[in-house]
Amino acid sequence: MMDFVILSLTMIAIGIYGLLTKRHLLKVFISVELITMGATLNFVMLASSLGKNLGQAFLILAFSTDTAVSGVILALLVIACKKYGTSDIGEIMKMEQEKEAEI
Amino acid sequence: MILEILSAGLIISVCLAIFLDEAVYAVSALAAAFFFTSFLYVLSGAIFVAIFQFAVGVGTLAILFLSGEMLSEKPDKKTSLGKSLMVVTAGALLSFPAVFLSLSSPATVGSDIQFGEALWNLRAVDVVLQGLVIMTVALGTAIILYEKKKGEK
Repeated sequence: MMDFVILSLTMIAIGIYGLLTKRHLLKVFISVELITMGATLNFVMLASSLGKNLGQAFLILAFSTDTAVSGVILALLVIACKKYGTSDIGEIMKMEQEKEAEI
Repeated sequence: MILEILSAGLIISVCLAIFLDEAVYAVSALAAAFFFTSFLYVLSGAIFVAIFQFAVGVGTLAILFLSGEMLSEKPDKKTSLGKSLMVVTAGALLSFPAVFLSLSSPATVGSDIQFGEALWNLRAVDVVLQGLVIMTVALGTAIILYEKKKGEK
């Protein structure tokens, strides 16, 4: 059972690394997806190993919520990208700071 | 053996999804990660979760492909084969701890509650339906607020 915990922890670690280091908006979104996937994998494997199918039933709710969150995040990404003309977080922050300085 | 291969494939595809520069290739690697995860769920006996993961994954990936094309500027330099190979090697190395700690199928432990029983007798379906209602209300509120804002402009 611990091996699957290590597998999901590795996935979460890679996701957190991507979240902290990548500047492209889509990469950030992929990192969030990976963190969610790692956490879900952990829950499913634990639920399966304990023989608790109730956990699987609850995870379907978690998947639904995750999909809704993904939809909202993607919509925000597209809006941000259209507004600022770039998908680089650093450049977007710089533009916002310049706008604030002008005000 | 198949669990070890799937675990290694999962970690390698996760690494590729993060480190590949072009958005479309990264999304393709994420698709592979979804596939490997679903397969792992099937092998661990969580067949319903696997089906749901696959269905959700297909939808998410279709949207990601579209937005990936919309959001990404074409990079000046293409990802070199050497870098891709380096990422694959790093992914394989990262998957060693999970692979060499004797992967065993957790489904062999046994199950005391069936999925249908959990949904109907233990009232899990109530929680799922409540979640769907809350989500619908949230979406409806968002749409009303958007229309209101649009009307003000």
